[in-house]
Amino acid sequence: MPVFTRTTKNLIIKIDEFFDNIDLGLLVFREGIKAYLDKDMDAFHRHLQKVDNLETNADRLQREIENEMITHSILPQHRSEVSTLIDELDEIIDALKSSLNEINIEMPDIPSSLNKSFISLTETSINAAEELVPAARAYFKAPYTVREKLLKVYYFESETDKISFSTKKIIFQQMDELDLAHKAHLRYIIHHIENVSDLAQKAADLLSGMAIKIVM
Amino acid sequence: MILFFLTSGLFLGWSLGANDASHIFGSAVGSKMVTFRKAAIIASVFFILGAVIQGSGTSQTLSKLGAVNAIGGSFTLALAAAITIYMMTKFALPISTTQAIVGAIIGWNFFTGNRTDSNTLEKIVLAWIAGPVIGAALAILLYIIVKKFKKSTRIHLIRFESYIKTGLILVGAFGAYSLGANNIANVMGVFIPAFNLKNLDLWIFTLNSSQQLFLLGGLACATGILTYSWKVMQTIGSNILELSSEAALVVVLAQSLVLFIFSSTGLSNLIVKTGLPPIPMVPVSSSQVIVGCILGIGLYKGARNINFKVLGEIGIAWIICPVASGLLTFFLLFFMKNIFSINVGSKVSESIDASVQTTNLATYGQSDVSNIIKYLLFGLFIFGTIGIIYYILLENKKRREMQRSEEKFWKNMK
Repeated sequence: MPVFTRTTKNLIIKIDEFFDNIDLGLLVFREGIKAYLDKDMDAFHRHLQKVDNLETNADRLQREIENEMITHSILPQHRSEVSTLIDELDEIIDALKSSLNEINIEMPDIPSSLNKSFISLTETSINAAEELVPAARAYFKAPYTVREKLLKVYYFESETDKISFSTKKIIFQQMDELDLAHKAHLRYIIHHIENVSDLAQKAADLLSGMAIKIVM
Repeated sequence: MILFFLTSGLFLGWSLGANDASHIFGSAVGSKMVTFRKAAIIASVFFILGAVIQGSGTSQTLSKLGAVNAIGGSFTLALAAAITIYMMTKFALPISTTQAIVGAIIGWNFFTGNRTDSNTLEKIVLAWIAGPVIGAALAILLYIIVKKFKKSTRIHLIRFESYIKTGLILVGAFGAYSLGANNIANVMGVFIPAFNLKNLDLWIFTLNSSQQLFLLGGLACATGILTYSWKVMQTIGSNILELSSEAALVVVLAQSLVLFIFSSTGLSNLIVKTGLPPIPMVPVSSSQVIVGCILGIGLYKGARNINFKVLGEIGIAWIICPVASGLLTFFLLFFMKNIFSINVGSKVSESIDASVQTTNLATYGQSDVSNIIKYLLFGLFIFGTIGIIYYILLENKKRREMQRSEEKFWKNMK
């Protein structure tokens, strides 16, 4: 019987570990962007490697969690939703890894005048995703509190949009010294960073519905 | 010939298994918390245990309603009830064996000119009404407790669900046991006066005549559960109201408690000691109780969640079932008596106790039946042992293959 096996305990540990991976990934990504803006390439590569490891570990955990839920028939009614949620969270860490990789390959030339905007954009976008993780944890322990936690995700996502908009406006309307290709490249990098908060919002929408269902 | 007469009872037992027994695990299977295979095996085993160990209690109530005093009558009655249940089950409607057998006994009373004991009938009908009402009240109460527990303890969802799953299995086993104890009289009760089998020594324990009949009935029920209960489980579990896992546990627990309340003489005596009237020992309709429980939770959550169409169909089936069973019994008795010249029973003299009249009915073929039961049990033991070993080996093989495939996957990934 499930109570007498270690499956439940193991699964809880794995889910927690998965959330820890996402949390850490977000932290490292923020530091990675800062390191890039500070032109500290050693630190940037170190952070890139760390995100890469965390992403691989998250993939492994995701697979194990889904396998265990299916083989031991755990959470039959919420299984597909929990799997989708984990998948959405995994997409966030995938996006972090691919963004840092893109930056590593393309080495965008970010003017120092834009450093503050880029840091602000990264902070806000990462904040949105960071607020999602406690909400996702709360789904398992206190689903009543999920929706109030998600409010912050929506707030930071909207703030990210605003910062992204204003930064792009500065690039395209005030920085005449940059050529169009350079401007387009910076916009592309902004999209990458902004994408993290968009993914967080997508996961928040799902989580919000899941929380209502479980509370009712 | 005696075995032929038993077939209708076995058919009725099969119907009971396919229909009533599926109510125990219906909500658990419907909510996907317990697999059908696991539910069917647990329900079968515990139903048989309940029937054999504690099955004789409620048979007295039915014999008070009408003491069938000929084996031909018992056969016809059980056949009519079984056909009624089979037809209802065909339409996936959760009806009750109690209703069918009560209808059949009243049909027999009409045919043979016997008086139907209105007090007993009143008790039974009252239990039909009280069962679902108590079930609904208990379900609401338990549901509130479970919800409050979940909220206050902030237990992890996965751990909570694992408790629920274990609870469903344990409560389901208890429910199946109670159902066997409570409802086996519906299947085999009408045959008890006609059989006087010699005691069956099975080394560890001995089965008396009634217990052997209950065992046969239990085995027939188990066959019904394993072969035909899937459809009814789906109706109970999914169609009336979409059940959450905790609601599924509450429904099974409330139902088991109601069955227990109406079967436990100990509880009844305890209530009498407190100065309250005793609880009638009546075979309760498990289908009515479970619908009451589900309805209770539906009402607590808001009536909009309830599928009233399915509920209406079940309500109609409740009325149709005893009436159809009674009419069918009446016509079948007519054919049995006039075309096949089989003695289907006679009017019981008011001055003579029914049990005295039935003692001379059957003393034929007993050892054959006992031997068949013995060989049947032996065969089942061997079949069960092989089945368990095969299952364990199969599960181990699956686990090994899964592990191998995982290892291969991660090796290739690296």
